[in-house]
Amino acid sequence: MSNGEAGVVGRAAPQVFTRKATGLVREGRTLDALFYNVMWSSVALTFAFFWLLYSFYYNGSNAILAFAIAALLGLPGAFLYAMLTQIMPRTGGDYVFNSRALHPAIGFAANASYCFWLAVVYGLYTTYFAAYGIGAFANMMAGYTGAHGWVTFGEWFSTEAGLFITGTVVILLSAAIFLIGGVRLFFRLQVGGFVLYMVGAFLLPMLIGLFGSESGFISNFNEYGANLGVQHAFAAMQHSAKEAGFASSGFDFEATLKSVSVFWFIFGFVYSSNYFAGEIRLRKRTHMLSIPGALAVCGIVLLVLTPLFTHVVGYATNGAFGFAEPASYGFTNYPAYPELMAIASGSPVLGGIAILGFSVGLLIWLPQTMLLISRSMFAWSFDRIMPQKLSYVEPRSHSPVVAIGIVTVLGIISSAIYAFTDWFSTLSILLGLTLTLLVTATAGIVLPYTQRAMVENSPYNRRVGGIPLLSLVGALSLLGFAAATAILLWDPGSGTSLAHNPGKLWLALGVYVVAFAVYFISRQIRRSQGIDIELAHVELPPE
Amino acid sequence: MGLFGRNKEERGERLRLYYASDIHGTEVLWRKFLRAPEVYKAQVLVMGGDLTGKAVVPLVEAGDGRREAQLFGEAVSAEGEEQIHELEDRVRANGMYPHRMSGEELERVRELPEEERERWFEGVMLETFSRWLALAPERLAQSEARCFVMPGNDDPPGVDGAIESAERIEACDDRLVRFGDYTMLSLGYSNVTPFDSPRELPEQELGERIEALAGQVEEMSRCVFNLHVPPYDSGLDTAPELDEDLTVVTVAGQVSMAPCGSVAVREAIERHQPLVSLHGHVHESRAANRIGRTLCINPGSDYHTGRISGCLVHLDGEKANYQFVVG
Repeated sequence: MSNGEAGVVGRAAPQVFTRKATGLVREGRTLDALFYNVMWSSVALTFAFFWLLYSFYYNGSNAILAFAIAALLGLPGAFLYAMLTQIMPRTGGDYVFNSRALHPAIGFAANASYCFWLAVVYGLYTTYFAAYGIGAFANMMAGYTGAHGWVTFGEWFSTEAGLFITGTVVILLSAAIFLIGGVRLFFRLQVGGFVLYMVGAFLLPMLIGLFGSESGFISNFNEYGANLGVQHAFAAMQHSAKEAGFASSGFDFEATLKSVSVFWFIFGFVYSSNYFAGEIRLRKRTHMLSIPGALAVCGIVLLVLTPLFTHVVGYATNGAFGFAEPASYGFTNYPAYPELMAIASGSPVLGGIAILGFSVGLLIWLPQTMLLISRSMFAWSFDRIMPQKLSYVEPRSHSPVVAIGIVTVLGIISSAIYAFTDWFSTLSILLGLTLTLLVTATAGIVLPYTQRAMVENSPYNRRVGGIPLLSLVGALSLLGFAAATAILLWDPGSGTSLAHNPGKLWLALGVYVVAFAVYFISRQIRRSQGIDIELAHVELPPE
Repeated sequence: MGLFGRNKEERGERLRLYYASDIHGTEVLWRKFLRAPEVYKAQVLVMGGDLTGKAVVPLVEAGDGRREAQLFGEAVSAEGEEQIHELEDRVRANGMYPHRMSGEELERVRELPEEERERWFEGVMLETFSRWLALAPERLAQSEARCFVMPGNDDPPGVDGAIESAERIEACDDRLVRFGDYTMLSLGYSNVTPFDSPRELPEQELGERIEALAGQVEEMSRCVFNLHVPPYDSGLDTAPELDEDLTVVTVAGQVSMAPCGSVAVREAIERHQPLVSLHGHVHESRAANRIGRTLCINPGSDYHTGRISGCLVHLDGEKANYQFVVG
């Protein structure tokens, strides 16, 4: 071998002899891991968010191009996560990657920050559920039946009290799922939820787009508006938008670049199978196919959904809705993506299914997020950074009741913040989530140097120009994540732009400062109890 | 020295125990295990079973000083002693046994009936295992720590003799041992698994074996159970559910997890309420939970990452505290 390392040969090698022992075949399937990543990348919700925000922030943006740019920035990270998950399988994701590669305090801070922003997402999902789920359904019923009672009913869900009460109820319900039936009940409900989500948020919008037309949408919209008391509602909406200064601008690259923020939503979650691997060993190629593969599937979904949706509700119509006064076309609020699909369908039944699919897409996230955060809390508790109580599992339901209780309280607080204040917007969580990705990319760069033996003995021990392959992929990931961070700090629609929301960057960094403080205070307390928490990740010398 | 005589450490009432399990033939993990007294300041080391590996990787002669092998599903080759040693180290670091063979020997082993091939496998394994055990006297020379080793359900019968005769290592399987003020009861057998591993017993028989040992314990409040298989439905035994073909069951893309521990072990813990109960066996189920007053611990295993998952157990009179460590 010219490079002094054992190399791959091109033909069949001798077999490996195995014996009777437990666990040899506990391997996950690539398709399962791929499905898991696609589900949690929430591509259909991201698509909906894009159209919800389009008219306000991204007029002239091209959805496909924006996704392609986001994918370009996130793809090295997808490979990095795939490699790290293979090198450190079954270990619980980036908390462990970062603790081992960098420092336990950094691993804890990055993971605590990730969990904090996951808790914040509760408020987003619950308020969206109230306003664009139940509220949109009531609006649709009013639009199709003309019954004013539905309008009043729907309006309440957009009030501060309506948003908060609805949010609190669904958060308590998701906690109750675990307390009553444990994880198994959640999994059963999740299967049904996924079916509704797939039908309502993927398949139905595709069929509506395929068999519908813009003229059909306009006709339905006029009929809908007439039931709400305005004749020729579509023309009235366009007139109102024009008066408010709307002019269809066509393609706008700057708006496209800014709207990368929306599609970055996918990248907060597309690497989820690194947690999946926390429970099961996967083959070498599984992560390589399932994480970048999930991105490819997201791309295909958007390539199909975008032209079909804009076929019935074009970019210009979407843009006009953001400018027009809702009262001018008989509405109390502007119709967001789920309601637009309901109108395009021309049927309250199909419209109801489309809205239900979107709503379920939001709801199934709540217990899943509880699980993700509680798993991290378990790890902190086992490492003695947090109290032992945090990992208490109630014997009857097998549920981590303390961890779930804490997430429930945090979720209700987040719901109140979204309902009663404008501190956070749709995409505010992304900056905080991306900071954790930046930490993981840094861990990828240094891991071949801080954990040399681990990387050398792994399948990813190759070097390119003398530099470890993992470090190179880590560096590319860091560049991609840094570029995404820059867009989030620039785009006013992200809710974290330096020009409009400078406090959010300080908040995101402040979470790290608090987490560091918690770690070092905990270290002192444990020391007084005879426990050195830094031993948790100290490597024993093999020689 | 305490005010009124010997302090708790000297009386053996307070001590630090390091427990690890399921290293499955990964030599670097065994080497690390023996370093625990100096890094973790542990006075007692317990290796709770499943020490031996599951796979032999033949390094087959390919002419001109070259050898070929299969690693991570890919064919690899090494040329010259230095490269071959490197390749052997990689194989060992991933919990497998490298074995230099000629093409003819490979063919011969390949053609062996399953039972004979298992015996051949055991021979390769025991050769390595004996070499491992020989490391202990040198590594523990500067330490007064006691080192207990027990086989687990995956370890073939031959390992018992090697453990019994090893220097600086104390066998503890199927007996009581004492350290400081504490008694430890150990059993490496598991309940019946779908894998037909070498040390499995039906639940009733497993329960009887534990009961026979527990009957000899004088003070359960200062007793440590060292039972390879964790108690059933304790959170320490949650593993991926398998179907009839031993394939992982998934629901909506999520791995379906199910308890796979031993009912007999759970009943023994509920009945006797020892101070601590140490377990391995289920690699995925790193957890610490209480069953009554007993602190039950399974540190899990990530043996193929080159890091040893273990647990420091702080024993102080009739109290116990723990900390998971990955070394």
